[in-house]
Amino acid sequence: MIQLDQVTVRFRIPHERIPTFQEYAIRWLQRRGVRYSNFNALNNLSFSVDQGETVGVIGPNGAGKSTLLKVIAQVIRPTQGRVRLRGRVAPLLELGAGFDYEMTGRENVFLNGAVLGFSRRDMARRLDRIVDFSGIGDFIDAPVRTYSSGMVARLGFAVATDVQPEVLIIDEVLAVGDAHFQQKSAARIRKFRQSGSTILVVSHNPASIKALCNRVLWLERGVIRLVGPVEQVMQQYAPDAPSPFSK
Amino acid sequence: MAEQPPFIYDSAQRPPPFVDEFVQLLRYRDLIFLMIGNILKNRYKRSMLGVFWMLLNPLLQTIVLAVAFGAMFKSALPHYPVYLLSGLLAWSFMTQTTQYAMGVMATGGGLLKRIYIPRATYVVAVVGNGLVNFLVSILPLTLIVWFLGHPVSASWLFLPVSVVILALFTLGLALLLSTASVFFTDSIDIYQILVQAGFFLTPIMYPLAVLPESLSGWMVLNPFFLFIELFRTPIYASAVPDAGLIAATVALALLTLLAGWTVFTRKADLLAYRL
Repeated sequence: MIQLDQVTVRFRIPHERIPTFQEYAIRWLQRRGVRYSNFNALNNLSFSVDQGETVGVIGPNGAGKSTLLKVIAQVIRPTQGRVRLRGRVAPLLELGAGFDYEMTGRENVFLNGAVLGFSRRDMARRLDRIVDFSGIGDFIDAPVRTYSSGMVARLGFAVATDVQPEVLIIDEVLAVGDAHFQQKSAARIRKFRQSGSTILVVSHNPASIKALCNRVLWLERGVIRLVGPVEQVMQQYAPDAPSPFSK
Repeated sequence: MAEQPPFIYDSAQRPPPFVDEFVQLLRYRDLIFLMIGNILKNRYKRSMLGVFWMLLNPLLQTIVLAVAFGAMFKSALPHYPVYLLSGLLAWSFMTQTTQYAMGVMATGGGLLKRIYIPRATYVVAVVGNGLVNFLVSILPLTLIVWFLGHPVSASWLFLPVSVVILALFTLGLALLLSTASVFFTDSIDIYQILVQAGFFLTPIMYPLAVLPESLSGWMVLNPFFLFIELFRTPIYASAVPDAGLIAATVALALLTLLAGWTVFTRKADLLAYRL
C-alpha cells in the first residue's frame, strides 16, 4: 500500500551560477541575495496504490515521474505533504547503484546488498542463488569494470529482486540484458505481482504498460492529468502508438 | 512475505533527524564496514607494493622531514623523528580525513540522490577509513621508536583514549565541513589553504618553545595543537597528558561532534536536492 497526501516536491532553481562561498559572501555584502525561482516537480499530488496493484506512471519528460518514484523510494522527502507506505521497497531505479567497478562481482553483490539495507550475513546466505540467477558464471570473480553493461544490469537486477519486496519500483528497466534474461526477469516480476507485491512502473513504452499494469497514472507538470484503468488512459495518451522507427 | 519484518514508512511521522539518522546508520552498519574495506582495497590494490604503502608512506615522510629539519631542532628535541612522526600522524589523520570527507560529499555523493542510504554513511566510512590508516601507521612509528632507542613507558597505555578523542573530533569536523562543501563548492579550496597554513602554524615540525612567548600563549586556541599534544605526549614525553588538556580536548571533541551531527542531520534532507 502506498499513499500520497497532497505531496509537493519543490526544487530551487538558482537564476545565476552555482553559489560558491565567495559569490555568496559578495552578494551578502552587497545586500542582494542569490535569486531563485521555485519549481514544483510534484504539485499537491494525492494518489494511492492498493496492496497488490500494478500501476503504470506515464507522461512527457519533466512531468514528475522520476520525482514521484524518488519520493516513494525515500531518496527525497516531500517539501509538503505526506508519503506513507507499508513494507520494504525495492527500487529498480538504478540497477547496480553503488557498484564499485574495481571490485569483483562477488564483492559487489555484498556491497549492493548493503546499499539496499541487507546484512552481510543475509547476503552470504543468498549469494549462490543471486549469482545463479544473474547468469554471470565465472565472471563473478572478475572486476565489474570488465563486464558488459548488460552483465552489470543483470547482476544488479538479481541482487535487487532476490527477496520479494512489498513494493517494487521499476523505472524503464524492463529490458535488462539479452532476450533470454529479459524473459527471466519479466517472469520474476510477474511472479511478484501474482503473489501480492505492489508495483509501480514508469515507462515510455505503451506496450509494456499495457502488458503489466491494471491502472495508469498520467502525470503532466507535476499534477495528475488522468488516472484510471489501463485501457481507458492509454486510449487517450497514445491511441495507436506507432514505433518511432516505423514509417 | 519478505524475510525481514515489514516496516512502515511515513514521511510525516518519523523521529527527529538527530535520532533517526543514528538509528538508520546502525541499520546500515554493514554498508559502512564494506565501504571502509573498499576504500582501502581500492587505494592499494593496483599498486605494486600494495598495503606496504600504508607503512612506507609515514616512514618516507619522516625521513625526508627529519633530514631537512632534524639539524635545526637537534638540541631542543632529542629523537626528533619520534616527535615529528607522532605529531604528523595525528595531524594527517585529522586533516586528510576531513578533506577526503568534503571531497566525497561534493563529488562522490551521487549515490545519495539515486537510492536511499543514510546520508551520513559516506562521512562515517571516510572517518573509519582514516582511523584504520591512523592505527596502521602507528606501526612504523613504533619501528622508529625502537630504532632510535626512545624510551617506552606505561604512558603508551593512554594512547587508545587519545585516539578515540581524536576520532570523535575528526568525525564532528568532517560532518560540519562536508555539509559546507555541498552548499558552497569552494569551501573545499578554502579549507585546503587553511590546512596548508595550519601545518606551519601548528607545532608539528618544531617545538612550541621556538615560538616567541607572545605567540605561544595563543596556541591553546589552536584545537589541532591540543589534539596533537594529546597524542604526542604519551609517546614523546612518556607522560600521561595533564588533566586540563584531557578535559579541554574531551569537551572540544564532544562539542564539535554535537555541532556536526546537529548541522548535518538538519541539512541531510536537503542534500539529495543539492548534490
